[in-house]
Amino acid sequence: MTRTISIIIGLTITAIVTIVLCTFTGPAGFGIPSAGHGTADIVGGIRLPRVLAAFFVGASLAVAGAVMQALFKNPMADPYILGTSSGGALGASVAIVFVGGLFVPIFAWAGAVIAILIVWSIASRRGIISVETLLLTGIAVSFFFSAIVSFLITISGENVHQIVFWLMGGFWNASASDAILSACILVPAGLLLFFMGRDLNALSLGEETAAHLGIDAARARWSVLGGSTLLVASAVSIAGSIGFVGLVTPHIVRMLLGPDNRVVIPACVIAGGILLVISDTLTRTFFSDLPVGIITAFIGAPFFIWLIYQRGNVK
Amino acid sequence: MSDTNRINAENLHAGYDTQDIVKSISCTFASGTFTGIIGPNGSGKTTLLRAFSRVIPSSGILELDGKDVRDYTPAEFGMALGFVPQDEGRPFSYTVLQVVLMARYARTSRFAALTPDDYARCHRALDETGVAHLADRSIRTLSGGEWQRVLIARALAQDTNVLLLDEPTSHLDLAHQSDILTLMCDLAASGATIIGVFHDLNLAALYCDRLIMIRNGQMVADGTPAQVLTPEKIRNVYGADVVTSCHPATGRTFLMPVKTTNGNVSHLKSLHIQVISGGGSGAGLLHFLAGRGLSLSAGILATTDTDYVTATALGIPCIPVLPFSQISAHALENLKVMLAQADKIVLSVHPVGAGNLPVLLALRDVDPARIIIHLPEGREFASYDFAKGTAAAAYQNLCAAGALCTSTYNGILRLLSPIINGD
Repeated sequence: MTRTISIIIGLTITAIVTIVLCTFTGPAGFGIPSAGHGTADIVGGIRLPRVLAAFFVGASLAVAGAVMQALFKNPMADPYILGTSSGGALGASVAIVFVGGLFVPIFAWAGAVIAILIVWSIASRRGIISVETLLLTGIAVSFFFSAIVSFLITISGENVHQIVFWLMGGFWNASASDAILSACILVPAGLLLFFMGRDLNALSLGEETAAHLGIDAARARWSVLGGSTLLVASAVSIAGSIGFVGLVTPHIVRMLLGPDNRVVIPACVIAGGILLVISDTLTRTFFSDLPVGIITAFIGAPFFIWLIYQRGNVK
Repeated sequence: MSDTNRINAENLHAGYDTQDIVKSISCTFASGTFTGIIGPNGSGKTTLLRAFSRVIPSSGILELDGKDVRDYTPAEFGMALGFVPQDEGRPFSYTVLQVVLMARYARTSRFAALTPDDYARCHRALDETGVAHLADRSIRTLSGGEWQRVLIARALAQDTNVLLLDEPTSHLDLAHQSDILTLMCDLAASGATIIGVFHDLNLAALYCDRLIMIRNGQMVADGTPAQVLTPEKIRNVYGADVVTSCHPATGRTFLMPVKTTNGNVSHLKSLHIQVISGGGSGAGLLHFLAGRGLSLSAGILATTDTDYVTATALGIPCIPVLPFSQISAHALENLKVMLAQADKIVLSVHPVGAGNLPVLLALRDVDPARIIIHLPEGREFASYDFAKGTAAAAYQNLCAAGALCTSTYNGILRLLSPIINGD
């Protein structure tokens, strides 16, 4: 218990230090840029909102990933498993192609939520929803939406660049309102999921087990799906679909702190935030602002392969 | 308290999608009882148990402590009924203690921490199932048997009056099987209602005071193990031939399968085989030959002889005599009739002294070609002689006269075969 608390405190301190350092880091080097006027605006008006948005999006993705893995009893599940990212991509592509690039975040948010609602309604029969059906339906709907996005890309002409960049995910346009919006969703959804932590623990051993242990499995499942959908939709609408943060962060947290979701969820908020802030700082500082999804995939994929390898060796 | 009905099911139907697996089952389970549910694969045992624990929908009356199970809140139900699954996935590395502590969720608010009492109860449950030393281990490192005992500990820590067990000993070794089932008997004795699904009928007969046998989702028998486990019912429901007896060590009903289908000896089924044995030498042989469906008779056997017990249990005719007494002329005459009627005689080499020497000598009058001698590998006739050399000589003479000798049971089957081909 003391170990858990000290690790959480350590993570929190790391998060604060990371946010401060990354806010003062940019292509111009470390510190407040001295050249020209309005330099304070760069730090406070551009970098700080971007760092905070990255933090909250990373936190949202990590928490959503952790609860999806628990719900699906599968440590390989990721937050986009129910079609959110392809739904968001479709929404964003529609906005770019047909609405001239206006309201992209709103369209992306709507696309993500619509995708989940379609998956839910296909997967539920007579009010009962099976986790396995949900998973398979999510995959099917994802492919369908991706096909439409590919079609839109082929007919989009000069907008193709915009769509492809959006698909890879990034924080180029992150504003203060984005940071505030994502925080406003992260706080209530995160609290809801945190207080569903023990239900998630029981659910991660199986729905019937949860029911036998006196957990309201149906209510837990709906709250978890609802909470994580809000988190992923807000992340997708702000930054596109950034891979691997939601998949890998819960694994790192579980390696440090064990699988109890009442610990994993708060730790994921901090660790997911740190990871995405660092990745985003790397790309805007050293890689001429490449889509951050490239960085997270570049680091995350080998790490994930190492995890799978470890899983085979160590029980 | 001891006579209250905890579970009451009337005309209960349950199943998956539109198909009913459990059809019209009515039964009650009192407190202080340990009931076994038995039946062949796919008969609906587990489905019935899952209907009781309401993880699958059911229709008909189903009451727990006088209240419809569908009216319980999830938490109330978790405090009233515990369930031990056959197995459970282990995707995450929870510690054993973390998993068992989940038993206390139903009794604790989600905004409160577990109390020291909750921890004490869980440690006691781990102790009761013999896994206390594993408390801090990751569940992913446990063996199947250890994991099963953790699942039982978790159900115990729920502190419920009713406990449902789905093959609770399927992964356990011999010692742990008896530990766990004795624990269940003790719980029943202190007022709990225990219901278990069993594949091992002997285990069920040994520990349960009541058995319910189901076939195709319907109850076909309900009563004490002795009432339910009859050869007729087992044949009807399982399609297997068994012999039942009262086990000498436990006094409980005991089953033994006798017939196995074995195609390659079907050509021997028209034969009648006379087995001559004694002192327990023929018990395994009788079971081996009976299990292949051959027509058998046994010889003169003292009623204290293991061979006699085996022959009686398998329903093989023999000539019983009192132990430690001279074989009567009457018994010997009967034996000679049997020898004359048999197609083949299998002589299982056994200790021979003055008392049973006449049986061996009676074989001198039989065509040696009809005799097959079974002498275990590495043994000699002399080591069975307790008649100052005459017994060994009698065995030797049979061999010399042309009786065939083998050291294995399968060798006997091979030696039995040619006479059909030859005829």
